[in-house]
Amino acid sequence: MKKLFVISALIIIVLSFKTIDDLFVVPKNFPKPVYDFSNNPLSADKIALGKALFYDPILSKDNTISCSSCHLSYTAFTHTDHNVSHGIDNRIGVRNAPALMNLAWNKHFMWDGAVHQLDMQALAPISNHDEMDETIENVVSKLQQSNKYKQLFYKAFNDSNATGEHTLKSIAQFMVTLISANSKYDKVIRKETGYSFTENELKGYNLFKQNCASCHTEPLFTNNEFENNGLTTDKFLNDIGRAKISQNPNDSFKFKVPSLRNVELSYPYMHDGRFPNLQMVLFHYTEDIHQNPTLSKQLKKKIVLGEADKNNLIAFLKTLTDEEFLQNPKFQPERY
Amino acid sequence: MKHSIILLVLFIGIKLNAQTNEFLVKFKPIVKQQELKLNESFNLFYILKDSTQITKLKFYISAIQLYNDKELVYTEKNSYHLIDASDTNSYFINLKAFPNKAFNNIKFNLGIDSATNAKGALGGALDPTKGMYWAWHSGYINFKLEGISNLCNTRNNGFEFHLGGFSYPNNSLQTIKLDVSNNKAIIINVDVAKFLAEVGLGKTNMIMTPSKTAVELSKQAAGIFSIN
Repeated sequence: MKKLFVISALIIIVLSFKTIDDLFVVPKNFPKPVYDFSNNPLSADKIALGKALFYDPILSKDNTISCSSCHLSYTAFTHTDHNVSHGIDNRIGVRNAPALMNLAWNKHFMWDGAVHQLDMQALAPISNHDEMDETIENVVSKLQQSNKYKQLFYKAFNDSNATGEHTLKSIAQFMVTLISANSKYDKVIRKETGYSFTENELKGYNLFKQNCASCHTEPLFTNNEFENNGLTTDKFLNDIGRAKISQNPNDSFKFKVPSLRNVELSYPYMHDGRFPNLQMVLFHYTEDIHQNPTLSKQLKKKIVLGEADKNNLIAFLKTLTDEEFLQNPKFQPERY
Repeated sequence: MKHSIILLVLFIGIKLNAQTNEFLVKFKPIVKQQELKLNESFNLFYILKDSTQITKLKFYISAIQLYNDKELVYTEKNSYHLIDASDTNSYFINLKAFPNKAFNNIKFNLGIDSATNAKGALGGALDPTKGMYWAWHSGYINFKLEGISNLCNTRNNGFEFHLGGFSYPNNSLQTIKLDVSNNKAIIINVDVAKFLAEVGLGKTNMIMTPSKTAVELSKQAAGIFSIN
């Protein structure tokens, strides 16, 4: 009897892993994901619906802006060369569109952590006045009138009538599939044959571990925390960051630590996109830290890097570029 | 043997069915002892001769339980209800599989608990298209009351209370416990005018973020529920 119980428990475990396995493989060098798949079990049809929605401007008030307007697959789903996000009617937002990858491991979303669960993230850009300026009620009513979406929702949920829940869950499903774990760095760490760091990259990696890794922690290259990284305050935006959400003055000017994966392509940098290149980022961290009561403790001691060090560090950061992720045809829009 | 087991299961099924019932709970928003009518002016303070009206009232009731003294008699499954004054059908909650047992008090939450808030996208009464979910700062709005009053020195004399927030220190969820005197249907009055009178509309009329004030006002909102 006991044996039977153990066997059936094992079968259940194997089966439950298998459904995630097919569509969501946890990379060998990654921890367990944070996202709770039991509340939103993945299916190919739901992911396909989510992708269709991700690429569809129907999510915006005047049907002109889609998620992909600011999150382009070829640049790690960020808006390269744009410092803050753009919206309908040529409106300009206040923060830099972040790269989208490895979201199943994120504990918080948005620069200030305003969103605590991936399913609900899409509501933020949909309703933001300077982005899509639309309501989820109206998005759902537009989807309910579309024959294309009636079919897609039926395939995904056995119900052709779109709901807020199903819309958000399918967008989240597409987003969790955006896994970047095949950069040169990953292949070296996983000891895959034929991959090793160059001398410069290795020096850069050691400098990275000494100076950057306490916040940009491997393997996700973020500690999932909020930090004040010593930027001067932009007088026009006057963005207090995390404190806006937590209402705790100790969180003033803190922003979510972004992952550095694919950082080569996600320029410009910082929450407001103020630095156009990595050289300026390193100048900031070594020479230009603005003292402030909420400054991250890791930055209170000056970081010293010579020119050669900086070049080596940048060489290492470029090993985080994941061409397979950037060119993955699964992430490209379907033609319906 | 096999047949007798099937019979036994059937018998137990029928027996259980005979002992359970539906039970009605009504949430009845009132103003001055009368059932609330949206968009109709009333006088909040006789002495001030104000003109006040309510344009929107929506709130979540969740986790309904019935007790006999301290003994738990009934817990509603999947207990999430959106009460909306623009749809009076929403005032009625049918408690299913209700046992044939005595009880003398009812307990429920005004709002949505933090565990449910953490679950991600949900459907039914909790679907984010119900206008009760904050997009800019994730979380359910527990209690929403909007209207117009000449006591408010605001644009178009409007007032808007969106009370919510599920995480420390601004958790605004309220648990309400009321004594019930008999075993017939329960009618719970929700005295909206009492809330507005206590709030002081002249000073407090726009609350739309999880905050200390929202927690205090949520406590006041919990105080307007009473047994008819």
